[in-house]
Amino acid sequence: MTATLTVQSTAAMNHNWRIGFRQTVAMSKRSILALVRQPALVVPSMIFPLFFAALGTSSFGRAINLPGFPKVDSFLDFSLAGTIVQGVLFGSVQSGSALATDIENGFFYRLMAAPSSRLSILVGRLAGAAAYGAFQTLFFCLLLLPFGMSIKGGPLGVLVMVVSGGLIAIAISGFMAAAALKTGSSEAVQGIFPLVFIMLFFSSAFFPRQTMSGAYKHIADFNPISHLIEGMRDLCIDGLSSGAIARAILVPIAIMIVSFTVALRALAQRITAQ
Amino acid sequence: MNATSTSEFAGTTMRSASALSMRALRNTRRLPSTFLPTLAMPIFQSIAFAGTFFAITKVPGFPTDRSINWYMPLAVCMGSAFGGVGLGFSAIKDIENGFFDRLRMAPTPRRSLIIGPLISCWVRTLVVVTIVLLVSFGFGARLTSGFVGLVMLYISAIGLSTVAAGWGLGIAFRFRDMRGAAIMQLTLFLTMFLSSAQTPLNIMTGWLHTVARYNPATNILRLSRQGFLGDVTWDGVWGGLVALVGLSVLTLWFARRGLDSLDR
Repeated sequence: MTATLTVQSTAAMNHNWRIGFRQTVAMSKRSILALVRQPALVVPSMIFPLFFAALGTSSFGRAINLPGFPKVDSFLDFSLAGTIVQGVLFGSVQSGSALATDIENGFFYRLMAAPSSRLSILVGRLAGAAAYGAFQTLFFCLLLLPFGMSIKGGPLGVLVMVVSGGLIAIAISGFMAAAALKTGSSEAVQGIFPLVFIMLFFSSAFFPRQTMSGAYKHIADFNPISHLIEGMRDLCIDGLSSGAIARAILVPIAIMIVSFTVALRALAQRITAQ
Repeated sequence: MNATSTSEFAGTTMRSASALSMRALRNTRRLPSTFLPTLAMPIFQSIAFAGTFFAITKVPGFPTDRSINWYMPLAVCMGSAFGGVGLGFSAIKDIENGFFDRLRMAPTPRRSLIIGPLISCWVRTLVVVTIVLLVSFGFGARLTSGFVGLVMLYISAIGLSTVAAGWGLGIAFRFRDMRGAAIMQLTLFLTMFLSSAQTPLNIMTGWLHTVARYNPATNILRLSRQGFLGDVTWDGVWGGLVALVGLSVLTLWFARRGLDSLDR
């Protein structure tokens, strides 16, 4: 009798997991489809980073010979990681904003009323953001290669960068999702964009930390975005090494754990408040 | 039209324009959230660019060893330009909520609908430039040519805000909804950055050098930086002045034609 009950409850749990997984896949598919169907949402996070990369390469091309600047063949090699993270940051703001829109237009509450997993709403959204982040990384790498950029890590390095891009997207989208769940306003989430932009500028996204000085260098040293970028940059300009891989993967994972926890708490608060 | 009626017409224009500019300034006081970004952005840009790109001043041929001397005028010009296109946003809002129709029906000269907001934009620009300057001096910016250099910066800021205001209003009168806002901002953003915004022409390489050489924004930025990179010279001034006057005439004409098109 006990054995039968155990078997039944294990089967029920497996069934619940399967359903939860299917719902998560459906939710992430929905968030990706929204981006495909509305290119206007995607274009800024693809075009602006590329514009800044092109601008930086022409403007700061001669800076690569400065003391303290990492050894690179061209400024484009140096700027790739910054370009990717910039794109992923913009995309993550969009992802948070989409979740807030779901709350504004009531879709979120319809999901609440449906017999669906609460977690799949958040995880599905983050999985969608991860897929888009990984796609952006691959897109930037492939697009910039014909313009003289070289990735010392080779195809395996690109693969690690793509994984890192996806993880960074989850890490940042987690914070954006938390903001969306807390405020329920897409305007408020968009309002975080200037803050993200400021953090990006006070990091090593556009210039190496080694060439900075004073308070500015200290801020860049403590800015997590600097560390997100530099892991990926090592793969591009130094090549594949266990240190570079660990930095590119572990730093986003560490931030991801924090942001996911914050987002889960915000989700629980919204469900309780409902 | 005889001399008396001409002066009466000019008087009415100025009275209406000053009333409209007062309205815009009052809105700024009542809704600081519309003004604060145009103040915060140039301050942030001055500090962030000067810090991030500090090392670029060590490249041989860079005209100053103080990065904020190079980037602060850029931030002032960007802030002034975006303050100018802000008039376009306000115009779109007025068109959408019907207030602009009431203004058009009022017995006031049409030009006052452009001159009024433009005056308020100049006042806001003066405030922004002064505050950004004070903050930048705190962060190490130094004048290299005294008071004349400051005048050049203010001329560039006022001129650029006029150009951007004309552009913004022209687009607003043609699109009449917020679709125009993206066009105003994007064109301005591209024009400013595809110039000597980040580095001087002699440091640039590749395609940007060619584009920046022919971009009038390069001359305007050169004018604005005159007081911070050495002595003010006529060679560094005239190109910027011609660009500002030429572009102001063109964009204000564009705005006026757009305003007339609202009647059709």
